[in-house]
Amino acid sequence: MRIQQVLCAAGPVDAVTNQAFACRRLFGSWGWGGEDASAVLAPGMDRRAVRPLSALRPEPDDVVLVHYSGYATGLERLMELPNRMVVISHNITPARYFWAYEPIDGLRCALSPAQLAELARAADVAAGVSEFNAAELRRAGARDVRVIPILFERERLGPPPPAARRPGPPTVVFVGRLAPHKRQDLVIRAFALYRAEHAPAARLVLVGTPLAPAFAASLARLAEEVAPGAVTFERGLAPEELWERYRSADAFLCLSEHEGFCIPQLEAVHVGGPVLARPVGGVPEVVGDAGLLVPTDDDGGVDLAVVAELLHLAVSEPDLATELRRRGEARLDMFGLDPTAARLRAALEGAEAPA
Amino acid sequence: MSAPTPEEAARLAEERAAAAREQGGYAEAPPSFEVSPASEIGDWRITEWAMIEPDPTKAYSTRRAGTPITWLKRGLLRLLRQYHDDLAGQQSRFNAHMAAHVMRLDERVRELEQQLEAERRGT
Repeated sequence: MRIQQVLCAAGPVDAVTNQAFACRRLFGSWGWGGEDASAVLAPGMDRRAVRPLSALRPEPDDVVLVHYSGYATGLERLMELPNRMVVISHNITPARYFWAYEPIDGLRCALSPAQLAELARAADVAAGVSEFNAAELRRAGARDVRVIPILFERERLGPPPPAARRPGPPTVVFVGRLAPHKRQDLVIRAFALYRAEHAPAARLVLVGTPLAPAFAASLARLAEEVAPGAVTFERGLAPEELWERYRSADAFLCLSEHEGFCIPQLEAVHVGGPVLARPVGGVPEVVGDAGLLVPTDDDGGVDLAVVAELLHLAVSEPDLATELRRRGEARLDMFGLDPTAARLRAALEGAEAPA
Repeated sequence: MSAPTPEEAARLAEERAAAAREQGGYAEAPPSFEVSPASEIGDWRITEWAMIEPDPTKAYSTRRAGTPITWLKRGLLRLLRQYHDDLAGQQSRFNAHMAAHVMRLDERVRELEQQLEAERRGT
């Protein structure tokens, strides 16, 4: 069997691109062939690993697997192909988060729902990485809608560190693109309150590529105002460096207003650090009872003082951290490679979704 | 006191935050920056973007040993600065006219809406 993977945009540190590579490794282990192509290739992307979409020439028996992450020109022709097609929606961020900061991205997000709906209706199987995303596909009128979570290759992260806290000041971490919907501004402010009330020497590490230089500069200015010298911004980390950031963290704090899946949460759970997250989008499905879900008001807003107190509890109560770690094992089993791989394989082979 | 369960932690955090606030804790100055989702771009932002200012630091190489290529690219930009400045000037001029035109149209639509509303009330 041959699988031709299609990406909307491919980049060297792009999460969806990495997901396509994880799928390709899986296909290789099943003895399946095929190639990867993308409508847009970011600078630094290895063009031998991912080819331009215009070079895609699937054989009649090939299956086309589309990893949809945002509007791209050239995807229309996929609907004209006679091949079996599976579309996985990796989530579309609402455009309102981008207009004021990066209007081109805003435009892509505004155009995406209609393009995804067309692709999903034309596909043999349309899948969301979470039930939250799958619901969008159902509303769009797709025929066979399934949930195929992100392939979580736990083994690649290495073993989790010992459960005992490291000595020294607490470290809080968040991993995700520096983008408006991720609300790193709230993470910084909640951390500053935690630091002021409970841990004056605490550190915050924000790992992620900025959406735009001006946006990153605004976050850096805010950090210097409310927690001078305590916030570190990092980007372009090698996998080993990223795992080290997770391992050295005492808590993972996610206050995003929109998330389709948020794989960094699972990575943090694997490492054993308590996860605190706002329950939006796919977050509650993924972290479930293995994290501390931040209470929200009717509009989804959070009280940063409550977040600061939750951070304090997560860092200072070892029994609470132990219980979260125990529950985390069950979540990791649920999102293990084997059950997700079985779902993906069934979708590609045209079989019923496994229970 | 035993550690809270994950289910109890949120309620406990809310209680502690409320108690700390009563004691004057958690006072926060208005932040200098806050993300504000918007359904449209404000006039001031459109005018700001209208005047384009290409950033020469965006010219770089992504190759592993790409420093010499980065310098080459930036050197070429320096050599072509006069031409690029003229190009940016032409584009900015067009953008500024378009932004001003859109704002005038916006103002006219607002006036017409007000007139229409006044006429409706009059009848």
